[in-house]
Amino acid sequence: MKFVSLVFTTATYQLQGHYRTSLPVRPALLVTIICAGLIIAGCDGSGSVEEPNEMVLHHVLSTRIKGLDPGNMRDVYSVIVASQIFEPLYQYHFLKRPYQLVPLLAEDMPQISDDLLTYTIKIKKGVYFQDDPCFGSTVRRPADRLAGSLPNGKGRELKARDFVYAIKRVANIKYLSPNWSMFDNKIVGLDEFREYTKTCKSEADVDYSRQVQGLTTPDDYTLVIRLKKAWPQLCLALADIATSPVAKEAVDYYGRDIISHPVGTGPFRLNVWRRGSYIELVRNPAFRGELYPSRGEPGDAEAGYLDDAGKPIPFADRVVWTIIEERQPAWLLFLQGKVDATVIPKDNFDEVMGGAGELTPAMKQRNIHLKTFKDPSTYWLGFNMADPVLGKNKPLRNAITYAIDREKFIELFFNNRHLVAHGLIPPVMPSYNPEIKEKGYAQYDPEKAQELLKEAEKIHGGKLPAFKMALPGTNTWYRQFGQLLKRNLNAVGLEVETEYMDRPTYLEKVNTRSVQMFTSGSSASTPDAQDFLAMFYSRYHAPGPNKFNYSNPEFDKLYEKAQVMLDGPEKRRLYRKMELAVLEDCPAAFLNHRVAYVLHHDWYKNYKPHAFAYGLSKYRRIDMAKRAAYKKLLKTIK
Amino acid sequence: MSESQQLIKKELSKGTNLWKDGARRLRRRKLAMVCFGVIVIYFLLAGFIYLAEFFDWQIGPTLWAEQAGQSYAPPSSKNIFGTDIFGQSVLRKTLYGTKISITVALCASLISIVIGVPLGAVAGYFRGFVDEIIVWIYSTLSSVPYILLILAFAVVLRDKTFFGYKLTGITAVYLAIGLTSWVGICRLIRGEVIKHKDREYILAAISYGCSRRRIIFRHLLPNVFHLVIIDFSLRFVAFIHAEVILSFLGLGEAERPSWGAMINDARIELSRGVWWQMAAATVAIFFLSLALNIFGDALRDSLDPKLRIQ
Repeated sequence: MKFVSLVFTTATYQLQGHYRTSLPVRPALLVTIICAGLIIAGCDGSGSVEEPNEMVLHHVLSTRIKGLDPGNMRDVYSVIVASQIFEPLYQYHFLKRPYQLVPLLAEDMPQISDDLLTYTIKIKKGVYFQDDPCFGSTVRRPADRLAGSLPNGKGRELKARDFVYAIKRVANIKYLSPNWSMFDNKIVGLDEFREYTKTCKSEADVDYSRQVQGLTTPDDYTLVIRLKKAWPQLCLALADIATSPVAKEAVDYYGRDIISHPVGTGPFRLNVWRRGSYIELVRNPAFRGELYPSRGEPGDAEAGYLDDAGKPIPFADRVVWTIIEERQPAWLLFLQGKVDATVIPKDNFDEVMGGAGELTPAMKQRNIHLKTFKDPSTYWLGFNMADPVLGKNKPLRNAITYAIDREKFIELFFNNRHLVAHGLIPPVMPSYNPEIKEKGYAQYDPEKAQELLKEAEKIHGGKLPAFKMALPGTNTWYRQFGQLLKRNLNAVGLEVETEYMDRPTYLEKVNTRSVQMFTSGSSASTPDAQDFLAMFYSRYHAPGPNKFNYSNPEFDKLYEKAQVMLDGPEKRRLYRKMELAVLEDCPAAFLNHRVAYVLHHDWYKNYKPHAFAYGLSKYRRIDMAKRAAYKKLLKTIK
Repeated sequence: MSESQQLIKKELSKGTNLWKDGARRLRRRKLAMVCFGVIVIYFLLAGFIYLAEFFDWQIGPTLWAEQAGQSYAPPSSKNIFGTDIFGQSVLRKTLYGTKISITVALCASLISIVIGVPLGAVAGYFRGFVDEIIVWIYSTLSSVPYILLILAFAVVLRDKTFFGYKLTGITAVYLAIGLTSWVGICRLIRGEVIKHKDREYILAAISYGCSRRRIIFRHLLPNVFHLVIIDFSLRFVAFIHAEVILSFLGLGEAERPSWGAMINDARIELSRGVWWQMAAATVAIFFLSLALNIFGDALRDSLDPKLRIQ
């Protein structure tokens, strides 16, 4: 916008006659200047102007976010942004590995009764919601609430009842939260509350003062949760953003628009959100303050992760996300120094990585750093077990598994960066079975696949029909991925039709069990592998998490047994047994586990990768001198 | 009567028609004839690929899916245009893409002619209420930006089943293009029919008691049909481009190679220095577009009576 002002200043200067030109030229010049001004004014700037000493984190999101209401989101991009605004009771320690939970809004870790059924949690005092017009307003849902003209009310102090309200919201069936499965059949009285909400006409008609036996607040700073049966993962759930406290005043004030008016207790607050293009958070002045961790794991001090130990956080004044769906523009912005960190696009891999896993001299010249970490994710080609042909023909499913060349897939699509998925639990999880590779479930063996197909034809009673494979995208990546799978399966004599569709259509088809094969993947939200195993539990058939519609009573028994066990060797043994049961029945051909390769500039400090935490912007710091030096460095690089 | 006068009289009595005269004029244009040759080669190639697929001949273009080398192998004597991500020959894919592009352009042109020409003729001949309705329809249709309209049709038609036939790949593409691009030819024919309907030969046909259908389809349309051919040749290029755009946007043929899909793939490959897929598809489009444009212009110059007089 500064540029626009300059243009109009020049125009005014000319109009005042300071620049003398012959008359016929002046109208043309004037028209040109006005046109140029209009064009430039039409080009929207990327956001607020950056002050010279202001510390701004610049990030890129590859897709638009759906909303910023913590109870009603599950997509990773919304969670990334919302985690800077909202805080749950617990968080993962930023530096320590293996991953460890530490209190965030809680005073301490919970007091757990001997029968493991009652959790008593003390809440920190002196935590305030951010200032917002919803506080102090006596008007319910004023018509001009979106105008942004109302003054901010003083944010009120956080109380234990705000956590109860947040959990009850998730339980409200009219709220349509995707997070309900987290609490399903776990807290005393919560399922009954959910039943009650079915009788209400709308979300707003639900009486949240209605008592839930398992959620009580003896005082303003104590939360007591009573469980129906032991749920050792409760603390992990209380570190999930879905359980973050929400101010009832904000929900009442903004109504359905609450998704774009987040009111949290976190270090940042929403300043600008242009859907599909730009998100900007600014430091929350009402934030209670927090200190950077003083202890980490061995090597953290050498890596510079403890340079800011004990300092107050957040460091940044603003956090900015520019939404760029195409990877190339995002990559170019990173090279220009306009983005602090990025993943490596597959087609730029050779430009970035030299031999022996090192950065190329060109990257080193730019002082770019590489971080790699194993992502707790698994991707697969799933089989719909409810399909009359695929579901009843195990040799056929096994044949498909043996027909896929996973190493070639990883070489072509991920530059050999990912790991072959020999099972469903990713290597980073504590319950990962290191001997799973020897079982040979992910072996590429086309000859064995052909033998199995002969057996499959006998079971089917003739030639196998062509199978349909659904892919959740229509872009080049998915088309090439579909082609690769098709080539692999055609090579062993299987006919496959690929169906490329947009994500909503894909989800609808998978949820209504109207696909035969589908490609998908999942990333764990906690270090417990339960997320992965729940996808094979028969109570969770589609539209639940079990999109394979897989049923195995033996697996179910093990799952139910493991669910109430504390983490330990016995539980891990059960998890591995369940994994083997799934692999034996083959409801999916597991393909790969992601290994993230992230690049960041040397001015981007405290960038230690974390597999489960998202609210990490508060730890990031910018070395302003180094960022300024990069601009000079760019001029010397051809 | 002298010999020369007799010759002139003989020539005059023989007369000439629009088509013969146009063909004679066209043959005089060397560049147009070269372009015609190029177009014929593209059409023959497309036809040959259809035959090869029908009779299951194992020839280069039909073997496009076979691995011809390493992934992203650069152009060499073995693979003139290099290979793609799966090691498939880019030359074979380019040749196969001819079939997709020609099929889409041909079918879309025929659909637009089948819709546009009768509607234009009926509107121009009957005028009044019928004319108003047809003009209203095409004015509404043409008020929507062309690419957006094609995109909307392509998205709606994609994977839909009509009378037990599923619209996939290029079928949805040429239907989307054909159903949205008849406005131009309809408007042209309407205007021409309005001009012709008061001419003597039409009045004569009316006085002979010919039916309206006979007048429109046996008298009027043959006399304006040269415009359809000119329009066809010029629109053909636009339809090829439309197919490329739709494929580029992921709404085209997904299973088989097409020039648009190749350019779409190449878009992200360029950053790793793989330029050959983009180059091959662009060259193929360039020569066909150039040939069709030059030949279309020449055809218009040869067949349009107004331009002939000049």
